[in-house]
Amino acid sequence: MPEAVVVGREVWKVYGSGDTAVPALRGINVEIFQGEILAVMGPSGCGKTTFLNCFSGLDDITRGQVTVEGTDIHGMPDAKKSEYRARRTGFVFQSYNLLPILSAVENVEMPLLIAGRSAKEARAESRSILTQMGLGDRLTHRPSELSGGQQQRVSLARALVGHPAIVWADEPTGNLDAEGSHQVTELLRELNRQYHQTMVVVTHDAEVAAACDRTLRMRDGLFVS
Amino acid sequence: MALNPIVGLLVLILVFVAVVTVVLAARHRLAFRIAIRNVRRGRARTALLIAGLLVGTTIVSGSLVVGDTVQTLTYHYVYLGAGYVDESISATSESGGAAYYPYSVYGEVVNLTAGSPQIAGITPMVVDAASVYDRTTGIPETDLNLIGVNGNQSSHLGSFIADNGSSIAGPSPGHVFLDDQAASALNATAGDSVIVYGVAAVPLVVQAVVQENVRGAFITAGLTPGNVFVTLSTAQGLENQSGKINYIAVTNTGSQVAGAASSSSVSAYLNTTLAGVLSTYGLSVKTPLQTALEQETTASQSIETLFLVLGLFSIVAGAMLIIGIFVMLAEERKGEMGMLRAIGMRRRELVYSYYFEGVVYSTGSALAGTFVGAGVGYVLIYLVGFLLRGEGIPQSALLQSFTVTDQSLVIAYVVGFLLTLVTVVVACRRASRLNIVRAIRDVPEPRPPVRTYTFLAYLGAAGVLLGLLLLATTLRGTGNESFPLLGGALAILGCGLIAARFVKNRYAFTATGLALSVWAGYEPLHTYLFGTSHSTTLFILFVVGILLVGGVLMVVLFNADALVQALRRLLGSRADSNPVVRIGLDYPTRQPGRTAVGLTIFALVVFTMIATAAAGSTVEGSLNDAVNAQAGGYSFFGVSQVPLPHLWSEISSNQTLAPLFENAAPLVAGAVRVAVPGYSSTQPYSDSIYAPPANATGPSSFLATNQFPFLSTLNGMSGSAAFEELAADRSVAIVDGSYSQVSNAFSTTTSSHPTLTVGTQIRLTTPAGTRATNVTVIGILTESIVGGVWVNPATASAMGYDNTSAYFLTVAPGISTSFAAQEAKKAFFPAGLVLFDLRGLLAQSISTTEGFIGILEVFVGLGLAVGIAAMGIFALRAVAERRREIGMLRATGFTRGMVLRSLVLEYSFVTLAGIAIGVGLGLLVIYNLSTGPSAASEGVQVFVAPWVTVIEVAVLAYLLVLAAIAAPSLRAARLPPAEAIRTSE
Repeated sequence: MPEAVVVGREVWKVYGSGDTAVPALRGINVEIFQGEILAVMGPSGCGKTTFLNCFSGLDDITRGQVTVEGTDIHGMPDAKKSEYRARRTGFVFQSYNLLPILSAVENVEMPLLIAGRSAKEARAESRSILTQMGLGDRLTHRPSELSGGQQQRVSLARALVGHPAIVWADEPTGNLDAEGSHQVTELLRELNRQYHQTMVVVTHDAEVAAACDRTLRMRDGLFVS
Repeated sequence: MALNPIVGLLVLILVFVAVVTVVLAARHRLAFRIAIRNVRRGRARTALLIAGLLVGTTIVSGSLVVGDTVQTLTYHYVYLGAGYVDESISATSESGGAAYYPYSVYGEVVNLTAGSPQIAGITPMVVDAASVYDRTTGIPETDLNLIGVNGNQSSHLGSFIADNGSSIAGPSPGHVFLDDQAASALNATAGDSVIVYGVAAVPLVVQAVVQENVRGAFITAGLTPGNVFVTLSTAQGLENQSGKINYIAVTNTGSQVAGAASSSSVSAYLNTTLAGVLSTYGLSVKTPLQTALEQETTASQSIETLFLVLGLFSIVAGAMLIIGIFVMLAEERKGEMGMLRAIGMRRRELVYSYYFEGVVYSTGSALAGTFVGAGVGYVLIYLVGFLLRGEGIPQSALLQSFTVTDQSLVIAYVVGFLLTLVTVVVACRRASRLNIVRAIRDVPEPRPPVRTYTFLAYLGAAGVLLGLLLLATTLRGTGNESFPLLGGALAILGCGLIAARFVKNRYAFTATGLALSVWAGYEPLHTYLFGTSHSTTLFILFVVGILLVGGVLMVVLFNADALVQALRRLLGSRADSNPVVRIGLDYPTRQPGRTAVGLTIFALVVFTMIATAAAGSTVEGSLNDAVNAQAGGYSFFGVSQVPLPHLWSEISSNQTLAPLFENAAPLVAGAVRVAVPGYSSTQPYSDSIYAPPANATGPSSFLATNQFPFLSTLNGMSGSAAFEELAADRSVAIVDGSYSQVSNAFSTTTSSHPTLTVGTQIRLTTPAGTRATNVTVIGILTESIVGGVWVNPATASAMGYDNTSAYFLTVAPGISTSFAAQEAKKAFFPAGLVLFDLRGLLAQSISTTEGFIGILEVFVGLGLAVGIAAMGIFALRAVAERRREIGMLRATGFTRGMVLRSLVLEYSFVTLAGIAIGVGLGLLVIYNLSTGPSAASEGVQVFVAPWVTVIEVAVLAYLLVLAAIAAPSLRAARLPPAEAIRTSE
């Protein structure tokens, strides 16, 4: 039985307070195992992105406990949480969120630099992973000079370059056409095979979910299957 | 009130703009509605925009208010000093004072002008100098104005107002009025017994101490020295001029303003009607009030121009801020604009919508700026009063003179409105040229097509032709040096535009920037190409400043990447690996538009501040250097009514005075007419003549004690050799520095002053023209504070000069000059000894200069507000538009502190680069001016870098920017990452 990397117990996330309080997560319990690709599906507004934000440490929870690799991430001070994100996690977003002022290779090397690697090492590893993703001829291009699929691949490279324990992907194919979506899904699988990283993919694309090891469905802030 | 033509024109333009706007709004209602909605949708942002846009108007308004106030103040003193004397009838005596003529002349004048409706009254007067000894307080005071006038003949000159508020016509026989200044110097009050000394001495009783109103402040305008008013017969007795007067005051009908206005026609009438009387007695008609008003109008306009020219930099910086704000506004609304274009809105409609929005902002900001400028003007006037306190003009008088004229408000409003509107329209035109798809998808605009560069190349060719034409027609001559400079700059810019068609922008504009910098900043090139005959006005500082700053910024901005790389290398590999450094330096270099605006604003503002400070420190440095040259090693220059040929022996035998002085060198002195060959204006020139007595030795010898340096001597002989030759040779002379037309803070040479070089033979004539001699000038002194011609004592004696009535004295080390002067004046009061504290005069000049420069620094420092506002607004905008990026960085592991540090580094980089460029160029421009060919003739001898001010300005500017960006940066750092990633701005 693989080890649970992420464990959530009675996790609540409530936006607002009093009469305007909106519970986005309603005491969910979940375990995510080492090396698996977990798909989280559900209709819009069911709490998928909130789940990702809370379990990755991007957002605070209202109640409950989230432990990642045995550590309660919500008990950490902000600086520790930032360090944890820099060293142990990677993120992929629907809208890529690349820094427009940086080239592809500069975007990818940013997490390595934040994690304290030297500029030379960071550049070499970034070149390598981008080349592996078929972007060897786009290293110095700015995001505005890349297609959507290429930008998402750069985004993936940025998430994976530091070999994080967990990669959190929020609708990674949401902005892509069928071809681009297929390429990114294949790439996720390939990288998972290669690096054995845990991946959590929030999606409502059935094809993406089908390519994952396990699928959890959400409704109204709870996992229903 | 007559409408000023400039105001009329500006109002017409404003009405035209209003009509055009109303017509456009009626025809493009949708655009108008969008504009109004945009204004109303973010009130805080609208307030911020108006605050950012009002700077230009504030500068214009502040400058005009300062000009108005200075004019009011100077008019106040002119009206006080001239009183109701619109025309005067007098002659100049041999000694330079007013010559006496028979009292009967007054009667003739009255008879000949009787019935003239423009003349209200004519008053016979004696105007001379006197000393007073207050026997009650025991205090003497020399060098006071003596004014002899009968109360019953002078009602048209107004009434004296005693300090108790009572109105008095004039002094009674046996009595004297003292004005507040004289009374203060003597510590006198009504009832004191005094002795008034003229040529004779008369005991009198102080009847009243009178206020400094238009009557009591006659001549002095309420400032030192004070006035002594006696009856006409008393004055005649004091000056031993029984039956004579030396001044007839003519008062025109109406108020002082009306009187001054009719002065030209009255003086013409007097010259015609009194032609016979005037020629018989050598009299002339002068218009003191009108002339002084004209002079002061010019002076206040000069100050207004000075403030406006220095304010131009801030205005340009303000315009850059407006462009920056509107470009950002356009960027923020790119998506909306793209959608509007996509659903069929024409490009023109977009421009109109921005235009209408700009009109609203311009209207509000110009209105606010006009009144903020008036407030700034008040603060400046307050500071002037504060800094110049104790130097004659009381702060209360300055504040009472604070004036804001309707005319200035209208000019400031309209100029500010148009300035803002034009800048807004230029910025909007650029913003409206967006591509629909790129706007919606937020894709950056591509490099312009070749045809754009072709068009720019043609424009460049036209610029080259125009520039070369301007350069060729103004290269040589006496015109303003700004023109050939601008011509050359235009040609260089044109070449840059042509080159950009064929090579990369970076190469084309780096070369253009370098060429512009060299063209504007390399002074020897100007001397070589333009010669030294061009006139230079303050405007050239603006031209050189803009060209230099523009040139250097081109080089910096088109090489920003390379510069940042170099900076990273300089900082080492640790910095290169630091993501904060990466992000902090990458944003400014990869958002060149915004960086250019920020850099330009800071460079311009700091340039102006440093140039002003450097000009001030250079002038002050030159003044300090000039102190010894002007004072010649002495403490005092003195004159006496009674000759004191043995002053030193009298001092050394006086127990009180002996320890106070270390020398006292008497000089024979008198008035002389100087004719210089080839000099056509005002020949011969009235000046003073001095001769050191031949038998003087030791501490009483001028030749032995003076340390006056020379500007030039015949055959390069030393200064002491020149004085030795003067002592030995009757045919030689030495003249003061004003004969070389070198200006300094202590004397202003005028175009009517003759100029000469060593070796020139000049002709000296006594004022009466009875005796004359030719002498050859063997030396020109540096000093010009004691102006005149030094000759051999035998030469002076042969011309009839034998009064030893001028002196140079030096106080002993450690002795207070004021104490020594007080004791000397007491001891030699009967001789009417007046002492001028040479170093005190110089110190006052330095202090006044420091004060004025200080005010200018504060004024140009207003531009700093533009830079700070720019950085604050940019930071605010950056945080809004980078929320997702900040969120992503936080997700990737950036801590709050790293976000904060990267933003601080980003704005520090722009600010410090702007400060560095501004400091470097500001110092360079003043260095060029202070070492240029015209520097010596302006009295500038040394360049002094104001390092303390440089540090103060740099630190202050940087700290203020940090304060401005603190709130948005902290907000950015505190953004919750999940929220930042999820939300768009």
